[in-house]
Parts: sequence; C-alpha cells; structure tokens
Amino acid sequence: MKIRRLLAILVLAIACRAKEDAPRPAAGARPDPTAAPAPALGFLDESREGTPVEGGVLRRRLIGEPATLNAVLQSGLPEQQVLQYVSRQLVDFNPLLALVGNLAQRWTVSDDGLEYRFFLQPDAVWEDGTPVTSADAVFTIRRIVDSKVPSPVFKPLFESLEVIEAIDPTSFRTRFRDRDAFHAYAFALPLLPAHRFEGQPFLKARDNRAPLANGPYRVAKWKTQQSIELERNPLWKGAAGHFDRIVFRIVPENSVAYRALVEGDLDETWIDEPLKERSASDPRFQSCCRVVEFYNLDYNYIGLNNRSPLFSDARVRRAMTMLLDRPAIVKSLYAGSARIISGPWAPDSPAYDASVTPLPFDPHGAGELLDRAGWHDSNGNGTRDRAGKEFEFELLVSAGSNAGRQIDEIFAAELLRAGVRARIRPLEWATFIERVDSGAYEAATLGWAAADPNPDPFPYWHSSQFPPRGLNSSYFSDPAADRLMEDARHELDPEKRRQIYHRLHRVFREDPPVVFIANATQKYAFRRRVHGLVTSPLGLFGFSPGPLSWWGTPDEDVAATRK
Amino acid sequence: MIAYVLRRLALAIPTLFGIVVLVFLLLHLAPGSPASAVGSGESGRRVSAAAREEMRRLYGLDRPLPERFARWIGRVARLDLGDSFVDRRPVSARIREALPATLALNGLALFFTLAIGIPIGVAAGGRPEGPFDRTSAIVLFALYSMPVFWAALLLQTLLSVKLGWLPLYGVSSDPPPTGLAGVADRLAHLALPVTCLTYASLAFFARLVRAGVVEARSQDYVTAALARGVSRRGALWRHAFRNALLPLITLLGLLLPGLLSGSVIVERIFAWPGLGRLYFDSILSRDYPVVLGLSLIGAVATLAATLAADLAYAFADPRVREGS
Repeated sequence: MKIRRLLAILVLAIACRAKEDAPRPAAGARPDPTAAPAPALGFLDESREGTPVEGGVLRRRLIGEPATLNAVLQSGLPEQQVLQYVSRQLVDFNPLLALVGNLAQRWTVSDDGLEYRFFLQPDAVWEDGTPVTSADAVFTIRRIVDSKVPSPVFKPLFESLEVIEAIDPTSFRTRFRDRDAFHAYAFALPLLPAHRFEGQPFLKARDNRAPLANGPYRVAKWKTQQSIELERNPLWKGAAGHFDRIVFRIVPENSVAYRALVEGDLDETWIDEPLKERSASDPRFQSCCRVVEFYNLDYNYIGLNNRSPLFSDARVRRAMTMLLDRPAIVKSLYAGSARIISGPWAPDSPAYDASVTPLPFDPHGAGELLDRAGWHDSNGNGTRDRAGKEFEFELLVSAGSNAGRQIDEIFAAELLRAGVRARIRPLEWATFIERVDSGAYEAATLGWAAADPNPDPFPYWHSSQFPPRGLNSSYFSDPAADRLMEDARHELDPEKRRQIYHRLHRVFREDPPVVFIANATQKYAFRRRVHGLVTSPLGLFGFSPGPLSWWGTPDEDVAATRK
Repeated sequence: MIAYVLRRLALAIPTLFGIVVLVFLLLHLAPGSPASAVGSGESGRRVSAAAREEMRRLYGLDRPLPERFARWIGRVARLDLGDSFVDRRPVSARIREALPATLALNGLALFFTLAIGIPIGVAAGGRPEGPFDRTSAIVLFALYSMPVFWAALLLQTLLSVKLGWLPLYGVSSDPPPTGLAGVADRLAHLALPVTCLTYASLAFFARLVRAGVVEARSQDYVTAALARGVSRRGALWRHAFRNALLPLITLLGLLLPGLLSGSVIVERIFAWPGLGRLYFDSILSRDYPVVLGLSLIGAVATLAATLAADLAYAFADPRVREGS
C-alpha cells in the first residue's frame, strides 16, 4: 500500500460513517457489461490469486446493530452486510456495475420499457426446504409498496409500480407507470418467504430477527448489541462462500475496531485517514494487517440554496466553486487520495465525462464574477453587498463529519478574503438533514453516498423535485438540464444515455447548482490472512460476489496469543 | 414517621408527572424526526418525501402533540411502554435486555468508588493538610480531570494491546468459557470499564468524605472522645465518620439512579451492550418510545432513590423526622 505521510489532518470522508455499500437496487437498464469504464487505478482483484482455503471463521465488524433482518424493512448498512450472506437477491450488480441474475435466472423488458418479466431459478429453496417461488417475489414487492410498511430503502424504487403479479410459480411480471431506464435496479432485492409471514403481523414477525435463509449462510446466533453469527446453510446449492462461519461483531468505535483488528479479534474494519496514517507507522499493524484503498461512487459537495437571493445567480455559484481550494483539500485533508469532480457523479460512474475539467481555484476570477453579479463592498466594511444586503450566510455541517468541518474552515477563510462571510454551524445529523431536506438552509456541506450505481440525477437536480415533495433541496432549476435529465431516464440504450449524461455534465459545469468537491477513497484494514478481495466502484460489499469471494488462512499469530 | 413518608410520596407524584411532560415535550419539539434519522445516522441514504410522509403516519407523528401524549400516558398507565420505532420490539424487552449489563458495570463501579473513596476520604480528613491529604488531593484532582474516553483508550492500549492482560472490549469471550473460567472471563471483561467509571467518581466522593470528616473532627464530641482516651483511629471512624456519613446518604441517593442510566462513552468504547448505548442510539435515531421509556424509568428511579435517601436521613437523624 502506498503510504502517504503528509500532514493530513483528520479525514473522515463525508461518508465517514463506515460506509460499505451493500446490495440494493438502482441504476442502468439492461445488463450491459460494457457500460462501466474499466475500474481505475487502486482497484483490487485477487480473485485469481492463490488457491482458496475452505473453512475457518471470518470475523467482520459492524458499526451498529442491525435494526432488523427483514430485507424489506432494512434501512442501514449493518442490515445489508448481514443479509448479503443470508438472502439472495433477484439480481445482483457485478464488479463492473452491470446487472446479473441471481434468484432470477433471466428477465425481459418490454419495448416500451414499462413491463418486466422475471424467471426464477427453479431449484432455489428456503432453509426449510420449501421452494422460492414467484409468490415470494409478489409478496415481497407488495409489502414494499404497502402504505403500512416502512421500507425506506426500496419504497422510492417502486413508487411508480402499477402491476405486480405471478404468471406461474417461477415467473412474475411487473408494470410501471413511467418509463425509466433504471427500473431494473429496483430488483437488486432480497426476497421474503411469504409462507412464514402468514397470520403474523408483518412489522413484528418472528422472522424479522431470525430470517429464513435462501443464501449460502444462515443466522445461527444473534446476541443483542454484541454479535451476529452465521453458519453454512446446509440446503444451499451453488457457489458457496469459503468460510464455515461468519461472525459479525458490533464495535461502534473506530479506534477500538482498529485495536481489535491488530489483536486478531476482527479480520476487517473500515478506517479513516488518521487511522490509515497511524497504521503506516505501527509495526504491529504492518506485521498482521494491510490497508485496502479504492475509489467508489461517493462524493461530497457544498449545497447552495438556489432560491436564496445570494445563490440564485449562476455566476455566484461558479464563483463559490472557484473560491474553494479543492487542490489544497485533496492534498492536505485527503493526503492525495481524492479526485476533484466537476459534476454530480464520481469519476467511475458511467455518467461522468472525464473531459469536463473542474473549474480552477481562482480567487481573482471569482471576485470578478461576484463583481459582475452586482456584489461589491459599497460601504467599505470588508463584506460585499448588493441592494443593501450583505453577502453573508450560514454554512451548515453535520457535527459528526470532521472532514466536512475542515472543508468548511478552508472555504470560510477563502470566502472572507473575497469579501463573503460564512458562519459555520455544526448540527446533529437528524437535525441537519431535516433542515437540508426541507430546504430551510442557505448552504450545507453534504456527502453523497451511492448505495447503487444509479447515476440518474433526476430526483436530486430536476426542477420538478423541489422540497417538500422531492429531494432537489438546492432548488436547482435549469431548463436545459431538466430536458437532458428527462431524456436520459427515458433512453433505454446505454450508450445513447451515456452521451446524454455527458452533455448534461457540461451544463452542470457551466451552471453549477452547488460546489462539487471530490471523490475520496474508501479505506479498509484487513488482516493479512484474508485473501481473495475484490473491490468495485460499489465498494467491497455492494456487488456480487463481494465478500463471498474472500477466503482465509489460519491466523497463527492470534492462536498464539490470548483468547 | 408514617405521615412523613406519605407526605413525601404525595410530593413525588406531581414531580414525576412534571418530568414526564417535560421529557415528552423536549423530545417531540426537538428538530429531526425518526424519518430524517433513518439509516443509522449518516449512511447518506436519502429517503424520498413520500416514504418520509408514510413513516410519519405509521409512527403516529402526524397526530397533534396532545393526542400523542395522551396515548402514550394511557399506555404507560397500563404499564406498556410501547414498541420501538427502530426494531418494533416492545420497549420493555429492549430495556430488559440491556439492563443486566449496565447494572453489573455500574454496580461494581459504585462498590469500588465507596470501598476506595471512603478510606481515602477518612484518612485524608483525619489529618487535614498532612502529607497524605496533600498527595491524595493532587492525585484525585489529576484523576478527576482526566477525560474518560482518553483514559479508556490509554488503558486499552496498555493493558489489552501491549500487555495482553485484559480483553479489549465486550462482555465475554466468544464462545464464553463455562464454569469458574466463565466467571473469571466476565470479570476480566469488566475490569477496564469498571476502572474507567470508578476513577472519575472516586475523586468527587473521597473529597466529599474528607470534607465531612474534617468538619466533624473539630466538633466537641470528638475532642471529648479523645479526652476520654478513645484512640485517634477510633475517634475518627466511630465518631467523626459516622457524623460525616449524613451528607453521604443524600449523595448516595443521587448516585443510585446512575446505576440505571449507564455511561454512554464507556459503553461505546468497550462495546458494552448496556442502557447508555441504547439511550444514545435511540436519541440519535429519534426512537421516541425507547427514549421516553428510559427517561421515565430514570425519573422513577431518581425519585425513589431520593425518597429512600430522605427516609434514611430521617431514620439516621431524628431532627429531620421531627421537623425541627
């Protein structure tokens, strides 16, 4: 691993919460293995190295306890990480972000893009021996759209569902009301066994904590707030994982997880930049462990409320981008392991056009833009003003995001030199995101965590999606961008869609809705005994086979020590 | 005495009601909601507006505040704390699960605080400004000023990582050994978190005992006892300390509810499955029923302990119960 020993201050990618994208649906239409660019530098594929050793225990870390193991009710990463071993999805993403069949051996899409038919593997069975049927799929999707069921992950993906019905025991059809290139992504969805929920209140069913497996592993033990243990599912046929048991330990603190890794209590953990630096000079770490670093689809940005008189002018928003010293942020905050972005995607997204260069850091040019937009320091108090209103605003940041706060400090200092005052205001997460989602803010530092490869900007940047109904909380409105976003989601041909996105990317550069910052690497630490790692733009976990390709040799140095 | 007890009990009821109303209002009027907190904090997932609205309706958050309060109080009156918003299990079940871990941790910590704090306080108060008093004052002050999270990480590094004497985190090994080895294993897991909880409250407690003893030892009855030929040690423990004990009763009354409240920091660092973590996580995820349930139990425990302390005080000091 490259070891950078720059003076990097704390780095918590805005997705500082151990983010491990797990399986979940969203973006690109038909399976199209050529859709994504070849993974960039830093990607890892050890799947062909060495001969996998079968057996043993893999000890993984969860940052929090899963609230449920009901796939429909899941809302966070811990749930997804556990379910990935237990519940097969209808379809999966492969490491190159294309959809591949899993429980569904194939599927068809009607010419108008509205109707999908899925054909299930005939030999798939639940842990109790009953077959997985289309009735299970219909039950699962009906629960998702049920207004009495909170399904925050899947509900938005099925909002335009019109029909879901079984054709025969191994096939079913769904029809959507609108044409959307990304409907297929919704089916990266684990199924529930319908027969187990009969006569049980869905939200409180016994299976929600003891799910019936149809994947390679099943839940053996769940010790509240401590650990979840999985063992092999004896009825599983097919490519299995290599370990006999998977133990998830719930360790909320990052630094404790790091120690546990070095101790041999854990085999992997998400780490942040400070821990990565610490590991470089820690001989014990070096002897037992390694850092795995790669780019995924996350990025961060400073949201600007375009409805505010301060940011309604595109020239001002461009000036804001030019006043954020992104090269310095990449160098000092991320120790070089981040890429500056010029639009609402990470560079590894098929939608991203690498030829669209980011705006430069240019305080002088920014000053001119502000002048042209009518913001001058007319009263000589050091702050620009226009029509009697000073250029000052509140810059919200989530209190838990160290990187976000540091970016804000850098930004505010530069703004001050340019005659703009930003007051940084850290807020607790739920409070923070509620203000952003309701549009009650002027500027806010945000992270974009991609749970799937869906590049569709429509829900976040289209002018029909203003709060409270939609998630375009920057109130960005650009007729040209709107049209391109509509065209892209209606275009079923991946190549043509990509070209539309590239055109859209240029619009975003000229008329930036917000200040896009960078796509930073994700960092994990692994014990050296774990082999066969594969990373993808979806992270280490959010694709197939993900952690199922890992295998492990016995951990001698741990056996030798305590426990 | 009975009239006194009844009077105190009658006073406790409006206090409890006041606390409950206050907690309910604070929680529901605070910004953020279960829908905005979804996805374990900052996983970055954005819930669509329609899904958010549906969740509000499901949790009954679209109802007016007084109605929500009435429903909640109505359930509590039937000893039902409701279901958690997060995992939809009964709040009482979640609390029952976390209670033993916290009781063991805080009970032991309280025991050691008393067992170490009282002798230090009495010895220091026995000779104010003497060498032991001065040394202990410095040491205790240093301990008191040391942030718990820092000490915890330091102890982990030293005792678990470097020396490998004690386990890093958790309540037991996996799988836990059986029999005596199992008990030893659990005690080993308790050692570090108990140390962290003890050292911080130790200083406070020992200094309080010292202050009481210093005051008591200059009283006439101690001088009289010494004049009667009682040994210095006897005068200190049997006369001065017993009188210095009175304010400690009150303090204990305040410390006991702490047994239930848990310590967020220590429980997080040691991945301890206790009430402190449950409380903290529930606040972050705006799991109103769990937060309300825990607050209610905390309030009842505080009131009960205060009441018990008052009664013990009255029992120990006739002046109080006779109202003079």
